[in-house]
Amino acid sequence: MKLSLRLILFSSLTILLVICIAYVSILDSRVINKLEGVLWTVPAKVYARPLELAEGGNINIGQLKKELEILSYEQTKKLPDNPGEFSLNQNSASIFIRGFKSQEPGFYKLQFEKGRIESIKRQDGISIDLIQLEPLSIGGMFPSHLQDRILLNLSQVPTDFQEMLLIVEDKNFYNHRGISLKSITRAFIRNTRALGIEEGGSTITQQLAKSLFFSPEQTIRRKIKEAIAALLIEIHYTKEEILLAYINDVFVAQAGRRAIHGFGLASQFFFGTDLKNLTLDQKALLVGMLKGPSLYSPTKNPERAKARRDLVLTLVKNDSLISEEEYFELKDRPLKIIPPTFKSLSKYPAFNDIVTLDLRKNFDDSDLRTKGLRIITNLDPVVQDYLEESIRKTKAKLEKRYGSQLNELEGAGIVVDSFSGEVVAAVGSTKPNSYGFNRAINAVRPIGSLIKPFIYLSALQQYGKYNLSTLLDDSKLSVPLSGDNVWEPNNFDKKFHGDVPLHLALSESYNVATTRLGMELGYSAVQETFTKLGIKKRISNYPSIFVGSFEMSPLQAIQAYQTIASEGFFSPLNSIRSVESSEDVLSLSYPYKVEQRFRSEPIYLLKFVLKQTFISGTARGYPLKVLEKWKVGGKTGTSDEQRDSWFVGYAGNYLMLVWLGFDDNRKSPLTGRSGALQVWKSFMSKLDPLSYEVRRPSRIKYEWVDAKDGLLSGQKCKGSIFIPFIEGTEPEIIPQNRKKCRINKESYSSKVINKIKEAIEAK
Amino acid sequence: MNIKLKNYFIALILMSLIMGCASASKKETDFYDLEVEKFSSSVKSLLTDLEFLKKEILKVNANKPSIQRILIEADNLWMKKDLKQASSTLERGLRIAKDESALYLRLAHLRLEQGLAKESSAFAERGLLNKGASSWELLLLKIYSAQKN
Repeated sequence: MKLSLRLILFSSLTILLVICIAYVSILDSRVINKLEGVLWTVPAKVYARPLELAEGGNINIGQLKKELEILSYEQTKKLPDNPGEFSLNQNSASIFIRGFKSQEPGFYKLQFEKGRIESIKRQDGISIDLIQLEPLSIGGMFPSHLQDRILLNLSQVPTDFQEMLLIVEDKNFYNHRGISLKSITRAFIRNTRALGIEEGGSTITQQLAKSLFFSPEQTIRRKIKEAIAALLIEIHYTKEEILLAYINDVFVAQAGRRAIHGFGLASQFFFGTDLKNLTLDQKALLVGMLKGPSLYSPTKNPERAKARRDLVLTLVKNDSLISEEEYFELKDRPLKIIPPTFKSLSKYPAFNDIVTLDLRKNFDDSDLRTKGLRIITNLDPVVQDYLEESIRKTKAKLEKRYGSQLNELEGAGIVVDSFSGEVVAAVGSTKPNSYGFNRAINAVRPIGSLIKPFIYLSALQQYGKYNLSTLLDDSKLSVPLSGDNVWEPNNFDKKFHGDVPLHLALSESYNVATTRLGMELGYSAVQETFTKLGIKKRISNYPSIFVGSFEMSPLQAIQAYQTIASEGFFSPLNSIRSVESSEDVLSLSYPYKVEQRFRSEPIYLLKFVLKQTFISGTARGYPLKVLEKWKVGGKTGTSDEQRDSWFVGYAGNYLMLVWLGFDDNRKSPLTGRSGALQVWKSFMSKLDPLSYEVRRPSRIKYEWVDAKDGLLSGQKCKGSIFIPFIEGTEPEIIPQNRKKCRINKESYSSKVINKIKEAIEAK
Repeated sequence: MNIKLKNYFIALILMSLIMGCASASKKETDFYDLEVEKFSSSVKSLLTDLEFLKKEILKVNANKPSIQRILIEADNLWMKKDLKQASSTLERGLRIAKDESALYLRLAHLRLEQGLAKESSAFAERGLLNKGASSWELLLLKIYSAQKN
């Protein structure tokens, strides 16, 4: 009997021991999995391009100010003496840069002269030729648990911050083995007296264990579990590793659906800079928030947050980390946090969609959600801001003019650096910050007359046959279709114009002449041009295709115009500049890709006509001086029954496309001119872009021709225009009646003088 | 550039012009190809001597001090054979100034070293559109642009 009782007792104890060992083993593996799993799954962060300020570079002071405001810099009247401050004068700007990567934080003074940066000097007077502002954080690729963090290594965590954290959270950190009996006893006595939980006796290791299990409950069972987990953590990891895991993992704030974990991200989130660049009062604020991220949130409860920060400062003063004087000076400082740069998951949903499309070509979803990649995009936040404002304001103006019928008007806009194909801004709705259907990518609509330049470019490449003064037939056209059907295109003004020179047919956007030209060229020749312009879609063999029944999305259409704006050089559109790993190592670069798809001569001729849109065509109304400065060109487009209003145009290096219309494809009162063009105009007047001089192709020469018959004319002849030709293709016939008013052929000497003049001009 | 080299190039250009005239008379007027014909295959042959071209290109400086600093950075990377980073540094320069021929020349050469002849030619062609390019820079750019023919 005794033996069997002993056996039962022994067996029970053995079973209990086995259960305990199994439980601890399971807990152990969970602790390790969590510590090496969740903690190191860092979502990719998406950034705008960093603004570079270069000595000798162009500068627009208004845009610099806007950029600084977007980055939450504060304008001061005196010279800035804190990170994140700037002051502006008529010819200079002083900025206290927060610092980013290799760009040291500090004071820099920029001197301007005639729209250029004359000099950049540090506070000590030393000249610097190039500085970078930190890039704006614009979103992230978050995993389902929506935890966000920036991983730091211990060398990136200042020593005074580590000391401050330990003074406040766990003074005995380096002396205990995960749990501190002293702290637990103290907390137990206090809580028993209060008959509730009033004080926690958790060490940093316990807090880490607690956060790994994501459970906020305060029960004895959980406390025991937490204590065992803490002991296990201490067995597996060194003190430095534990402290670093805590610094990277601790929950600091909630921003919408996004949970801000770790001090690396908290520093960026509240102060816009790295932890290493923070001042002691800023560090104290972050440490103070740990007691209650919501209760001591500087955005929600600034007074409580300040009181808590001051308490932290008192603790570190008592521990002699700072002197009495420093304490009073730090205590007097205001909180000065920056407004969160993005509350939700992304500030620029349409642009981020394009980034995601580009990223998916090289990365899978799990890489983006876990590897802590830094994605530097081409987004220019100032350009994006102007684009959003232009769409919003233009819609409001149109509503005022046309009434409630435009309440549901939608739109999309994309801005591209035509030189490189870099997408710098995008909106996919007339409510640019709202999520949902992204029309910039997904609204595939008939492009109307936006197609015409592609057809004329097909013709101008056949330079032996077509030049700008070639006459095209714009008389009534009947195209037999299958069965007894006949298709008869009409012009916008419902008139036929007979024979018209090619340049006029394009600048006036004549449908009939264009259809005839397209049919004459043939579908395959036009298709070839489309392909060279980067249009992947095949055209169908219907003549209506030549007058705009062809459907494209705004993103596809702007790609085709990039090659035209960029003198015939095709660059695939791209929203990403580089992707770096969390250790700042370049993971993937997106190099410039340039391919010459067209000779510069036909492109020059086409651009000459696209400029006419602004001089005498649908976009007329700008002073010539502005047109010369911007080096503009563009095309309006209106689809059947005004269901779509398009405008695409370039100025300087910026190419912008706008689409306006309704999602349900209903008719609108807007044409390309009265709708989309107005957005473009509003945008460009804000941007006021600069352009750089491009050499005219050597085979281009100008000649006086008659505006109507396209034959040779003279400067003094009535109705004559001065237009470019590829040398040798200009008309040869001079009608009898114009012989007198045509200037006599240049003498040899004047020819030489003109050549010299041209050479000097070119220099 | 030493005098010997200069003479060599003057001779080349003269030869090119003579050959150009000869070829122009042979062919029907092809407006586009005329210039390239003039330039002749003898200049194209310089593309086989990449080391010589590299030396010449490294001597081309930028006008703006900020771009000059970028050039030095890119050249150092180039010397270390880190073509990817060198290229990305030069592209950074292009974002600041699109009218610096030194950038186009280096990019044209780097792309060639990366085995991207078509892109090398395209960068050179783009550089040729730059109004501020000097005659020497134009001549060097012409060499790279000649690849496509």
